Amino acid sequence: MALRLLRKLNVRPELRGVVNLSSAAAPAQLSDFDVQHKTPVVRKVHLVPKAHYGGRHAVTMLPGGGIGPECMGYVRDIFKYIGAPVDFEIVDIDPNADNDDDLKYAITTIKRNGVCLKGNIETKSEAAYVTSRNVALRNELDMYAYVLHCKSFPGVATRHKDIDIHIIRQNTEGEYAMLEHESVKGVIESMKVVTASNSERVARFAFEFAKKNGRKKVTTVHKANIMKLSDGLFLETSRRVAKDYPELEHNDLIIDNCCMQLVSRPQQFDVMLMTNLYGSIVSNVVCGILGGAGIHSGRNYGDHYAVFEPGTRNTGTAIAGKNVANPIAMINASIDMLEQLGHHFHADLIKAAVDKTINEDHIMTPDLGGQASSTQVVEAIIDNIDLYMKNKVSFH
Amino acid sequence: MKMSRLARNVCRTLLQGSYMTHGSRGVQTASTVNGPAEIGISTLQSSSPEGRIKCTLIPGDGVGPELVYSVQEVFKAADIPVDFETFFFSEVNPTLSAPLEDVVNSIARNKCCIKGILATPDFSHTGELQTLNMKLRNALDLYANVVHVKSLPNVKSRHRDVDCIIIREQTEGEYSALEHESVPGVVECLKIITAAKSERIAKFAFDYAVKMGRKKVTAVHKANIMKLGDGLFLRSCEEMAKLYPRLQFEKMIVDNCSMQMVSNPNQFDVMVTPNLYGNIVDNLASGLVGGAGVVAGASYSAECAVFEQGARHIFSGAVGKNIANPTAMLLCSANLLAHVNLHPYSRMIKNAINKVLTDGKVRTKDLGGQSTTKDFTNAVIHSLCE
Repeated sequence: MALRLLRKLNVRPELRGVVNLSSAAAPAQLSDFDVQHKTPVVRKVHLVPKAHYGGRHAVTMLPGGGIGPECMGYVRDIFKYIGAPVDFEIVDIDPNADNDDDLKYAITTIKRNGVCLKGNIETKSEAAYVTSRNVALRNELDMYAYVLHCKSFPGVATRHKDIDIHIIRQNTEGEYAMLEHESVKGVIESMKVVTASNSERVARFAFEFAKKNGRKKVTTVHKANIMKLSDGLFLETSRRVAKDYPELEHNDLIIDNCCMQLVSRPQQFDVMLMTNLYGSIVSNVVCGILGGAGIHSGRNYGDHYAVFEPGTRNTGTAIAGKNVANPIAMINASIDMLEQLGHHFHADLIKAAVDKTINEDHIMTPDLGGQASSTQVVEAIIDNIDLYMKNKVSFH
Repeated sequence: MKMSRLARNVCRTLLQGSYMTHGSRGVQTASTVNGPAEIGISTLQSSSPEGRIKCTLIPGDGVGPELVYSVQEVFKAADIPVDFETFFFSEVNPTLSAPLEDVVNSIARNKCCIKGILATPDFSHTGELQTLNMKLRNALDLYANVVHVKSLPNVKSRHRDVDCIIIREQTEGEYSALEHESVPGVVECLKIITAAKSERIAKFAFDYAVKMGRKKVTAVHKANIMKLGDGLFLRSCEEMAKLYPRLQFEKMIVDNCSMQMVSNPNQFDVMVTPNLYGNIVDNLASGLVGGAGVVAGASYSAECAVFEQGARHIFSGAVGKNIANPTAMLLCSANLLAHVNLHPYSRMIKNAINKVLTDGKVRTKDLGGQSTTKDFTNAVIHSLCE
């Protein structure tokens, strides 16, 4: 961008060199303030070939904190059991470390593998230069769209039935821009950044997604009545993009009304498009309606990379190691991953076994009202995989 | 209430098989009578015989058919759920050879293949410069050749505990088959190096090192002389190394590498090389641990894997004499089984080979014994169950 401007202005070459030099030397003496405010978020990507050899894929696995490692263990058990052609490269990130070395390495592995399965990563350090690792991961990989598929499991007792909502959330900017400062003592400003380009990208993604999956309606969630410029831009952009998809219905809803509608009549929603913070809230609301944090899985997409994780991004530190954590969310994330890699056979098989375990056998962890431990649920899923194989039951 | 462990294993085997198989029914050379086939899970992939794994088999020239027969014997004895689709494929017997497209289609469908060695004549009858091997590789884009050179127990050699993996680019470089005589008496042979393929093989090598839990990758080159061609290869490796900060990366000139390989082979871990250097280093390293008869290799594309011997010699002097060493081919078959997720079978075969070698009673001629190929195969079969 800067270069293009320079070229337009026809700056003398020796001057141009000076400009380049100063920007190249800058990272060495960045202060905390600079790190927060002057690091460009969107980076140019040099693509490397994906790790796909002899029909097998390499995938980065970030177990994260809390219940992450045990859930990853269950996923690996199931994958090993059915022989999924995936090789995991496991990267542990030390939550207490005061530097970003592990995280940088994790990001590097995702860049070369292309796909990642992750738990929620803890960031215990509160130093200003240590950013939230989950946010840093998304920003660094430029994963601008987050997709959460919230679908009722008939076997889970909930207040509302037959919900089938796709939540699509802008994942890299908005309230999560992490631009905060104390302008005058006692006055903190936090910037919410909405850009036309990122709004356009995520809106385009949402409508393409709806079209591809045969959906009928896209609802944009916003607060443009108060934040007339920022949310206004987001809303305007989605309205403009909607014109390119006349076959899809498009409406918009203010976030507060949206939350009320969600808990009273959630069946009216189909695909929902929203900015970052609203997405975080709405996805937790919907997951709560459908049985809690332990079931649904989320997908982060950029132009080049995909990261799969449990839907509500909770660490679950309190129940770690007690064998009561619900493994379904992570297993669903692994199913999403297999589908992304094109291993539909294995994905369908695990999916069918999970559905049967919950909806027919009613083997569930306590958070869904069941009695089973985590390992019992996993055992039951593996038994169901066997069953589908043995009795020639069609699972499609 | 739950199924027995055995039933589960059987079931698992079948399931694993099913993802590899989605083609037409092939020639079933390894038959089973009471095997898992009886359970029958044909709904999954209706076209495959009960979810077994199908694998293309190319016996090749020279002693290839004898060695492949040894593999089939072992598979039969161990009751391994793999069906072979056999093709006679040869450059020196062009009239009998199956057409290239058939072989390529079969491998592309089955996604795995076990292959003997194809003889390549020193001159071309037709004026065509590409060998059959090269055509097969190019057609399937089998760009990465992996040779795992590892000292075997009780195999006499000058060096102990050699354990290195040599990864070779095999679709470009000196093997471009672009040669011409520009002026009478002046022949030019083009060596092609491209950034895309160099990056691809470098990434493959690093990814393989990560997967196998290795520590170091060595790039072998001759960039001091071929500054542009090998320079590009070397730069691609250097660039790729930056993505793998936890692996050590070093570079070595091919002549020095050859010397180091014969004097101190233990310093090497994973090596990545362009085409011709890889061929030479492969053979050099194979010689260190017991020769062509004991080193297994494999070639990979994005979708397929072809398992073949690490050092490709047809050993035509031994044809029909029943003296060739089947160890390499059996190791290839074990690697194949591991690749298609039949790890228990793979371990079983590897353990059996190790046991036979450790006992040292049955040794083929190349390892200083007097036993025949058949003796060795039978010894392996006997050790399978122990």
